[in-house]
Amino acid sequence: MTGGTPTARRGPGSVVVTGAGAASAYGRGAEALLSGVLSGEPAFAPVERFGTANRRVHVAAAMPGSPDLLTEVAQAAREACDDAALPAAGRARSPLFLAIHGDPALARAADADEPGLGPDAFTAAVAGRSGLAGQGLRCYMSACVSASTAIADAAASIARGQADRVVVAGGYLVEPDQFALFDAGRVLAADGQVRPFSAGRRGLLLGDGVGAVVVESQESARARQAPVLARLAGWGRTGDAFHPVQPHPEGRGLARAVTAALQRAGLAGADLGYINAHGSGSPHSDPAEASALWLALGEAAGTVPVSSTKSLHGQALEASGVLELIVTMLAARKGMLPVNAGFLGVDEECRLALVLGDALATTPQYAMSLNAAFGGANTALVVGLP
Amino acid sequence: MTTQTSPAFPGATGLLGTAGLQAAAVAAGLAVSASASWPETDSDAEVPPLAGFIDSLFSPLIAEVAGRALSRREEGRREEGFPRDQAAPDGAVIAIVLVTAHGDVASAAQVAARVDAGRRVPPLHFFQSVPNAVAGYLAARWQLTGPIVCVSGITPAMDAVALLIEDADADEALIVSVDLGLTGGAGDRAAAVIVTGPTGRPEAERHGPEGAA
Repeated sequence: MTGGTPTARRGPGSVVVTGAGAASAYGRGAEALLSGVLSGEPAFAPVERFGTANRRVHVAAAMPGSPDLLTEVAQAAREACDDAALPAAGRARSPLFLAIHGDPALARAADADEPGLGPDAFTAAVAGRSGLAGQGLRCYMSACVSASTAIADAAASIARGQADRVVVAGGYLVEPDQFALFDAGRVLAADGQVRPFSAGRRGLLLGDGVGAVVVESQESARARQAPVLARLAGWGRTGDAFHPVQPHPEGRGLARAVTAALQRAGLAGADLGYINAHGSGSPHSDPAEASALWLALGEAAGTVPVSSTKSLHGQALEASGVLELIVTMLAARKGMLPVNAGFLGVDEECRLALVLGDALATTPQYAMSLNAAFGGANTALVVGLP
Repeated sequence: MTTQTSPAFPGATGLLGTAGLQAAAVAAGLAVSASASWPETDSDAEVPPLAGFIDSLFSPLIAEVAGRALSRREEGRREEGFPRDQAAPDGAVIAIVLVTAHGDVASAAQVAARVDAGRRVPPLHFFQSVPNAVAGYLAARWQLTGPIVCVSGITPAMDAVALLIEDADADEALIVSVDLGLTGGAGDRAAAVIVTGPTGRPEAERHGPEGAA
C-alpha cells in the first residue's frame, strides 16, 4: 500500500497463544464460555446485582451475585497460566498487561485513600494474586479496544524479540455506574436483546466479561513443550479521525486495521474462515463495520462467516477484546462457529454472511476478531490454528 | 512539579511535565518535535472549556496541551518550508497515546455520587466516560489517523509508541500525560509531546490518498 497509509510491518518472530481463562454470564472458565456461546442462548436477564429503578433498560448478561473484579481477573489469569502449563517460575517472569476501565474503588474513595488507589495499584494486585511478575506491568484504559490493543502490543513486542511471554487480561463486571452512563446515553437495547447487523436492532447490552491469555513466542512455547491454542498471526490498530464517539460511516479506519492485520499475517481476505465482529448491535456502528469489511476484504466480505458474540455474552467494554479472542480461538478449534443471535431480518446496509439459526460446523484455518471503540479506535486480531 | 515512581511501573507518574516526557521519549529512542504543557505561564489560569465535555477538566486539559503541541509541530514544519495543509497536514499517520495515573476521577466521582443518590446521570457524562472521547475529538480536529491508546504509565507508553513507529502503525505519536489533582482540584496538570522515530517513513512516501483497502 502506498500513499497516506503505511504498509504494516512486524518483527520476524512467530507469536502463539498457549493458554486462556475466562469468566462470563455463562459461568467461570473458558470452557463454560465456549459451551455457553455455542448453545446459541443469549445470557441476558433482568439485572439483580443492583437496582435499576431509574433506568430505561433493566437487562444485562451477568453472573449470579456480586463477583469481585480483582478476584475474577486474577482467577482468569491463573486459569490461563494453568492452561498454558506454565510453572510458577515462568509465571513470576511473565509481565501482565491488564485492560480495565480503572480502579473500581477510586470513584467512591475518601480523599486520603486516593493516592494508594488507581489502575497501577489494581494491576499490581492482579499480578500479585496471579503469581505474575511484579515488573513490566501495563494497564490499558482505551475503552472497548483496551484488551485487543494490549494483545496487539504484546504480539508486536514478542515478534520483535523484546519479550518471550506476556499475560494479557481484561475485566469488566456489570456495575451501576457504567450501567447508568450507558442508559443515559440511550444506547442500551430496550427490547432486551442484542441484534447485530439485523433489521430492527435497538442497541447494545452490557455483560460480565473477564478473560486472560498467555501470549508467547513460538520458540518459548516450543522450548517448554507448551500446548499451543492458536497462532497470533496478525494484528492491526488504527483511528478513524472522524468524531469523538461516532465511527466513520464507511468504516475507513476499521478497514485499515483489518488490512494491516491481514498484511502482518500474510493473508488475503478470502483466507479467513470466520470473523467475530465487533457487532455492537447499535444502529450506526453495524453498517460502518459492514462497510469496513467490504472495503478491506472485497468480495470475500460476502462469503466469510460472520457473527458477533456480543449477541450472546453482551458487551464487556474494556475486556471485550480478550473475551472475544478467546471465543474466536476456541470456536475455531472446536470447529463450531457461534451464531449471530437475535437476528430479525436483513438490513441492506449490513450485508454479510452471518451465521444464523444454529452454530455453524466448520473449521476455519484463520479467524479474525474485531473491536471498535469511542474515539474511532479500531483493532483487528487474526488467529490461525496451530 | 513532582514525579512519583514505583518499581513495578517504571516511569509511572502522577504529575509529569514536558521535561519528564522528553526524557522518557529519548530513553525509548524517540525524537521530540514539539511539546506543550499546562500551565506554561502565569496567564494559564483557567483551562479553556471544550464543547461537549462538562464537570471535569480532564478532557479540556488534554485538548489544550495537545492543541498547543500540534500547532507548534505545524509551525515548525512551515518554518522548514512544508506547505500548510488541512487534512493530515503532511500525510503523516499520527498515533494518540494518553497517559494517566488515575483517569478522569472528577467525572467518575460525580457519576458515582449521582448513582448513589438515585439520580439520573447527564447524557454528556456517557460520552466523556472514557478517555477515547477526547482522543477522538483530537483525531477529528487534527486528522490523526493512527492508533488510539490510553495507558497508566509513561514508560509503557513510550515503549508502545516506539513499536508502533517501528512496525509502521504510525509515523509519529502525540503523547499526552494528564492527571487531575486528587484533592479538591489543586494541581491539575498536563503535558504533551510529539515524537518521531528513526524508522518512520520518509517524507516522500507519506503523501497520497488514504488507502482504505
